[in-house]
Amino acid sequence: MDTIVALSTAPGRSAIGVIRISGPRTTEIVKTLVGDQELTLKPGQVVVRNLQPDGEAVALDQAVLSYFAAPHSYTGEAVVEISCHGSPVILRQVIDYVLVFGGRLAEPGEFTLRALGNGKLNLSQAIAVRDLIAARSDAAAKQAVRQLKGELSQRMHETQERLIQAIVILESALEFVEDDLPEVEKEKLHDSLLEIAGNLAGLAQTFGVGHLLRDGLRVTIAGRPNVGKSSLFNALVRSNRAIVTDIPGTTRDSLTESISINGFPVTLTDTAGLRESSDQIERLGVGRTHQAIADADLVLLIVDGSLPAEDRNLEPDSNGTRRLLVRNKMDLPSFRSENTERKSFEKVIDVSAMTGAGLDELRAAIISSFGDCHAADSGLLITDARQHDLLRRAADEVTSSAEILQQGHSEELIVLGLHNALRLIGDITGETTTEDILSEIFSTFCIGK
Amino acid sequence: MSFDEVFNVIVIGGGHAGCEAASASARLGASTALVTMNLDLIGQMSCNPAIGGIAKGHLVREIDALGGIMGRVADRTGIHFRLLNRSRGPAVQSPRAQSDRAQYRKEMRLTLENTPGLHLRQGTVVDLILDRNEIRGVELLDGRKLGARSVVIATGTFLNGQIHTGPKSYSAGRAGEPASIELAEALKRLGLPVGRLKTGTPPRLDGRTIDWAAFEVQRPDKEAVPFSFGTDDIQQEQLDCYLGYTTSEVHRVIRQNLNCSPLYSGKITGVGPRYCPSIEDKVVKFASKDRHQLFLEPEGHDTNEVYLNGFSTSLPVELQQDLVRLVPGLGKSQIIRPGYAIEYDFVDPRELGTDLQTRRFRGLFHAGQINGTTGYEEAACQGLIAGINAALSAQGRKSLRIRRDQSYIGVLIDDLISQGVDEPYRVFTSRAENRLMLRFDNADARLRPLGRELGLVANRDWDRFEARKDRISELRRVIKETRVRRSDASYAAASLAVGFNLGDSISLEQLSKRAGVGADLINSLLPQPLESSGMRDVQSVLADVLYEGYIENHKTQTERLYHHDALRIPDDYDFRGLGGLSSEMVERLERAQPETFGDARRVAGMTSAGLSALLVNLTVANASP
Repeated sequence: MDTIVALSTAPGRSAIGVIRISGPRTTEIVKTLVGDQELTLKPGQVVVRNLQPDGEAVALDQAVLSYFAAPHSYTGEAVVEISCHGSPVILRQVIDYVLVFGGRLAEPGEFTLRALGNGKLNLSQAIAVRDLIAARSDAAAKQAVRQLKGELSQRMHETQERLIQAIVILESALEFVEDDLPEVEKEKLHDSLLEIAGNLAGLAQTFGVGHLLRDGLRVTIAGRPNVGKSSLFNALVRSNRAIVTDIPGTTRDSLTESISINGFPVTLTDTAGLRESSDQIERLGVGRTHQAIADADLVLLIVDGSLPAEDRNLEPDSNGTRRLLVRNKMDLPSFRSENTERKSFEKVIDVSAMTGAGLDELRAAIISSFGDCHAADSGLLITDARQHDLLRRAADEVTSSAEILQQGHSEELIVLGLHNALRLIGDITGETTTEDILSEIFSTFCIGK
Repeated sequence: MSFDEVFNVIVIGGGHAGCEAASASARLGASTALVTMNLDLIGQMSCNPAIGGIAKGHLVREIDALGGIMGRVADRTGIHFRLLNRSRGPAVQSPRAQSDRAQYRKEMRLTLENTPGLHLRQGTVVDLILDRNEIRGVELLDGRKLGARSVVIATGTFLNGQIHTGPKSYSAGRAGEPASIELAEALKRLGLPVGRLKTGTPPRLDGRTIDWAAFEVQRPDKEAVPFSFGTDDIQQEQLDCYLGYTTSEVHRVIRQNLNCSPLYSGKITGVGPRYCPSIEDKVVKFASKDRHQLFLEPEGHDTNEVYLNGFSTSLPVELQQDLVRLVPGLGKSQIIRPGYAIEYDFVDPRELGTDLQTRRFRGLFHAGQINGTTGYEEAACQGLIAGINAALSAQGRKSLRIRRDQSYIGVLIDDLISQGVDEPYRVFTSRAENRLMLRFDNADARLRPLGRELGLVANRDWDRFEARKDRISELRRVIKETRVRRSDASYAAASLAVGFNLGDSISLEQLSKRAGVGADLINSLLPQPLESSGMRDVQSVLADVLYEGYIENHKTQTERLYHHDALRIPDDYDFRGLGGLSSEMVERLERAQPETFGDARRVAGMTSAGLSALLVNLTVANASP
């Protein structure tokens, strides 16, 4: 087993940078790094040392060393966290030395993989760690913490228990046919199975909101030039700016901002300026606009309410995506509140980007996607697509068992779906995992975590 | 070393494992000796005089399909045949029959004596003769030395057997028979991991002292379903059995006297089977039940002896007598053989390979109770496999491996050698992940070809099998193509039977998938309905149809889940070097020597975290050579 090393804090300059080392040669490497073979490291004690390997005239840095003895560490192996000054240069040098002294750069997510391998985390907890780090809102963070604490696993164990009870009843009936066992109460069992299926399906459904919490609600602002899209965009962003870094995977685009409304993460995209240029650029712009609309969870179509109602060239139907019609410029005297039918719009809201009027109502309408869940403390939500899929399939299996029971088939057929459901649930907590799942999960994990 | 006699294979023990082993070995052309302490007790059923039961009946069918003998003997001596779970699906139906205990012994011995190449020898084996780690033969108490290339130990409950009845305990292999002590010690000396198990048996009664009218009659099936594929019907006269119950008074007295029970006084250290509890166990663990079932099973036509099923006990004999007399209908009954508990040695079956050969000693095979199983059928199927492999090994031929997706025999052997045993192992249908595929009626399709290849299936049996195979496939075609139409006379009856709208027309195949549609109905709708003798074929076809979809489904699911199972583990793989495995897990893996990830997955005590670590490691190793 290699000894791995990685930078655990975000790259860039900061006051402190933390380098984490995990593996069998950890203490050996650290001793060499400080140039003191007599160094004693005690768990629970921090020591301050100069990082000055033998032969170096000058220390690289003065660092704080924290030692975690196996198995009482994040990974379950011997771990040392070196807190240095957060200069990228220094951090680079320290890591280079560790590599020279016998360490290896960790793969993305490798620390957590080891934690998983050493039984320190189960699979759903490992996913939760990832989510916690990636959380872009309070609500998402809270969900991740709940999962990390094992709330999902607990819910799953309860369901597993009930499934096992049902399986036991059925298996006993067919196996111990000569024993004096009570008759299988089919009615009762049927109801019980439907209840279990309901629980699983209900939990699966929370993914609708759950994934929004984790990935953020994508809202696109669309409309013709000069209706005030940018003003509205800026108004929303100014008052709802979230403390957030780049959104991974997208190119840096000043037209997209992550905001937080009442604790819910919203990704706001403005399509302003994309149609106000010459032909060539406009063609590009139209493409991007269509893309932004297609990707959106919610489209805000802005119209200028101060202009007479004309044959508004409303955007092409966005096939099922939520749409709000926002009539801007209600501060102007020529503003008309009309009563025309807007079938394809969920709601019509009058605002003034300039004065801020109507914005509260707009914000409320935007986050109504999150349903009744109060971002501050909602029930357990499923935020991971894989878990959602497993739960849904488990629910289907149990439902099909109930149907087979209803049809009057024999126990060995009824029990099939229940065994399948049990296995699927086991997949969520990691009782049965496959390599593909592992790599899929950990490839999204950043180095050093 | 000079031997008094030399054989290819020696089988130690004449019980159910020993008989199958000796018979198969001899028929494979290896000169075989069956060495037993008492020739008169070959094929003795130690406890319940019955063969079969849920999952056990499956085993007997599989033994028969492969060319073993238990099924035939049971058919010729069975006096109360019942097909269990008739009202349930075909995959969980299983035949059972009570046998005339004395007749069974006689038939079994006759079968063995008529097997060319099989030599019966009475004697007590006291030691194994080994040269380095290779078996050379056995040594008997009377000084004789018998040479052999393969030895199968099938000693049942005899190894260091210790009988307990109340405060008394004494060495015995079975009531009235001496234990095998020297051999047990020899095995320990060889360093084999030995453990202790226990089992028990109920008292036998004098049938003349029973008030039969007080009991509920249990009649055998009108049409007995035989065990052997070679049996057309059961000839001998059948007997009824009787059902009764204990009372709370019985339970009270038992509870008062628990301190007299060697189980509860701590005298017995061996672990017993949870699903074959003594009456003391039942009363203690299920205190809320005010009555427990008892079955009175007559032991044969020519005897008054009656087996009291459900009253396994090791309480003192006088107390047994008092207790039995408290049961309604048994007020004047007389015990002629008391019940008792017996402890015995077993050897950890994880020592064995898939051929049931010990890993350490070439040519040494273990079969039956010595491997920690309980039950005649469990013993017999191991005896069959061990006997086959003992002969193949002696002949320098490749060994036979039975897979768990192929048969319950495969499930049993795989469970034993990969999981070991914590308590006496008994088969259940739930032990097989592929339960739907392993039916009692399709054992021939699954295993006859294998038996034929080995040379254990006679021409007559093979011809019968081929004929049945053809009939079934033809029948399947007919059922698929025949449709019941609205205009048919039979439509109304069919509609009524299933209780819903059949549409304009429905194929018999579709119809048969519905619950409540039985073979009789389908048969009546065939263009040419079959005679009752053909009903078994119809039933097999319908079972195939019923389960098809579910089996396909299951296959795709497990393929997805277990598609890493085929991942090979290199021979010299270092489990110790893997992070995430406890030292206990490492030990188990090193012992089990799994060849694939699938094997490793089934090793007892493996956690998912450990498996993840192994899987990740193997995949990484495979990716970067």
